[in-house]
Amino acid sequence: MSDYVYDLKTAPNRQVTLPITVPLPSLKTYRAEQATAAKAEEAKFQKATADFETAKAKAEVAGTELPKPPVKAAPKREVHDLVTPIPSEAKDPDLLRLVERLGEGAEEAFEQSGELVCQVAKERILEALILCREDAALRYEMLSDETATHFPASSSFAFSVVYHLTSLSRAKRLRLRILIPAGFEPESATQAYPAANWLEREVFDMLGIRFQNHPDLVRILCPDDWEDYPLRKEYPVTGWGQRDIDFRDDRSGRLERLAMEKAGNTGINLKVPKAE
Amino acid sequence: MFDETEYMEINMGPQHPSTHGVLRLKLKLNGETVVECRPIIGYLHRGVEKICENKTFFQGQIWTDRLDYCSAVSNNLGWAEAVEKLFGITVPRRALYLRTLLTELNRLASHLIWLATHALDIGAMTVFLYTFRERELIMDMFEAFCGARLTTTAFRIGGLYQDLPPGFEAMVRAFLAKFPACLDEYETLLTENRIWKKRTVGVAKLSAEDAIALGVTGPVLRAAGVAYDIRKAFPYAAYRELDFEVPTRTEADTYARYLVRMEEMRQSCRLVAQCLDGLPEGPIMAKLPKVLRSEVNEIYHPTEAPKGELGYYLVGEKGSLNPYRFHVRAPGFANLQALPKMVEGGLVADIIAAIGTLDVVLGEIDR
Repeated sequence: MSDYVYDLKTAPNRQVTLPITVPLPSLKTYRAEQATAAKAEEAKFQKATADFETAKAKAEVAGTELPKPPVKAAPKREVHDLVTPIPSEAKDPDLLRLVERLGEGAEEAFEQSGELVCQVAKERILEALILCREDAALRYEMLSDETATHFPASSSFAFSVVYHLTSLSRAKRLRLRILIPAGFEPESATQAYPAANWLEREVFDMLGIRFQNHPDLVRILCPDDWEDYPLRKEYPVTGWGQRDIDFRDDRSGRLERLAMEKAGNTGINLKVPKAE
Repeated sequence: MFDETEYMEINMGPQHPSTHGVLRLKLKLNGETVVECRPIIGYLHRGVEKICENKTFFQGQIWTDRLDYCSAVSNNLGWAEAVEKLFGITVPRRALYLRTLLTELNRLASHLIWLATHALDIGAMTVFLYTFRERELIMDMFEAFCGARLTTTAFRIGGLYQDLPPGFEAMVRAFLAKFPACLDEYETLLTENRIWKKRTVGVAKLSAEDAIALGVTGPVLRAAGVAYDIRKAFPYAAYRELDFEVPTRTEADTYARYLVRMEEMRQSCRLVAQCLDGLPEGPIMAKLPKVLRSEVNEIYHPTEAPKGELGYYLVGEKGSLNPYRFHVRAPGFANLQALPKMVEGGLVADIIAAIGTLDVVLGEIDR
C-alpha cells in the first residue's frame, strides 16, 4: 500500500499561475513608463518619416503616385464614462508636512484616485505612525485598516504593507505604505494604534509577515496548526483539506471508505485511492 | 470554600444561540464576574478575499453578499463603488439615488434584525415578532427589485442593470406611511421598560477614547459621543445631496446604542423618502466597455454599513480582469476587538447584552 503523501506540485487542480507583473502604483514608475512610451512613439514616428522620405524619392523617380506622409497619432477620445485615474504630484498639505517631518524616511508621496499615499522607509514606519497620530497638524486618530499584498514578481521586495489612517476631527484619510523583503519583521503598529492588534494577526495569518513587539501574534482566522499562508500568490485556490473524491464517481462510497481508512479517519484531505 | 485566586475557565460558544453565529469566547470567571475574555473567531472563514482575487470584478460582487448577510445591499454598494473608484467610472445620478434608496432600506432591515435578536437575547420575545413583521415588507421590496431577498447582488459596476419595477414606489410609500408608527410601537415595548433598562443602562460601556483607539465605528462609536458617520464625513452615492442628521449620545452604554440605532432608523426613513421625491430622470447605467481591464491602481473605499465602516481595499493589475488583491475591512471585525474591553469586570450575563449591542455578524468577521 502506498502512502498518501500530499504533493502540492503534482496535483493538477492545485496548479498556480504566478503573476508576472508588479502592480504597485507609484508616481516614479508611472512617469518612467510614460517617458519610455513617448520615446518609443517618437522613434516609431521617426522611422515612419524616414520610410516616407525613401518611398517619396522612389515614387518621384518612377513617376508614380506620391505616398501619404505619416501623421502623429492623435490622443484617443474617451467614449466611455471612464477616466483612468493616474498618479499625480503630492499637493495636499498633509503629505507635504509628512514628507517634511520624515525627511529621508519618506520615500515617495503622491495622490491617486483622490487618495493620499506616502511610502515610508520600512525601518521608520512606527515613527511615521506616531507622527501621524501625535502631530498637531495631522491628527490621524484612528487606524481603519492594515493589510498587505504579496508581489512574487518583484526582485527588490516581497510584500507591501499598507496602513489606512483616518482623521475623525478633520475628515481626512491617508495611506502609509512600506515595502518589505521576505523575512523582514516590521515594527508592530499596536504601539501607536491598539486597533492594529487583530489586523496584524490577520496579516500574519494570511501572508506570514511577523511583526516585532506585537503582544499576541498568533493565527486568527485559520486554525493554529494551519500550514502555509493562504493569501500568498503561490497558494492554490483549491486548498488543503479538500476532497479529491468526486461523489459522482463514488456513489457506493467505497472510495471514500478506503481513503478514510488510510487517512486515519480524519475525514479531511481525502485522496482517491490508487488501484489495489 | 471557593478560593478567590482560583478562576473558572469556560467556553461560551461556538454554538450558543446568543453568539449570533459561530463566535467562541474563552472566559475566565471569578464567580459571576468576568476576569478575562478572549474572542476566538474563524469558524466561518471561507477565504472570500482569495476567492475574489480569482474572480472577475463582476463576479466578485456575488461574494460580498455573503459577508454580512443581513445587509447584502450595503456590501454590494461598497463593492460597486470601490470598483468604480479603481477604474475611475462616473455613475449616472439616477443610479446613485436608486442605490441610496435600496441601501437605506437595507439599513432598516439590518437594524430590525439587530433589534429583534438583541431584545430576544435579553429576554424580550415580543419585539422579535414585531420587527420581523416589518422586515418582511422590506424583503418583499428587494424581491420585487431583483428577485432575491437576502443575497441580492443588487447593483452592477457603473450603475444598475434595471430600473425600479412597476409598483415599487407604491410599496415603499405604503411602508413609509406605516413604519414610524411601528417604531413607536417598539419603543413602547422597550424604551421605558424597567427590565430592559436594568439590563442595558450602564452595561458594556466603551468610552470614546477606547473606541477610537480600537478602531470601533458605527453606532457604537456614535453612542460614545463621536459624531462620525462616513455618509457625512466622506460622502458617497447620493448622500451629499440629501438631508439627514447623525444621532449621537454620550452615555456610551448599551442603552445609548439602542437609542442611537432607533433614531438612525427614523433618519433612514427620511432618506428613503427624499430619494423617492428627488429621484432624477436619466440613464441608470454608465457607458462602459464590454470588458473591464484594470490599470495599476490601489484604492481603499469606505462606506457606512449598518454596523460601521465597511472598507474595501483593491489593487488593480494592468490588463487584468480580476483584482490583484482584495481586502475587506469589516466593521464587525474591528468592533468585536473591543468586546473584552466592554465586558471585563462585568457580569457574565452582560456579555450577552454586549454581543447584541455590537451587532456582530460572523459572516463578515470571518470572511
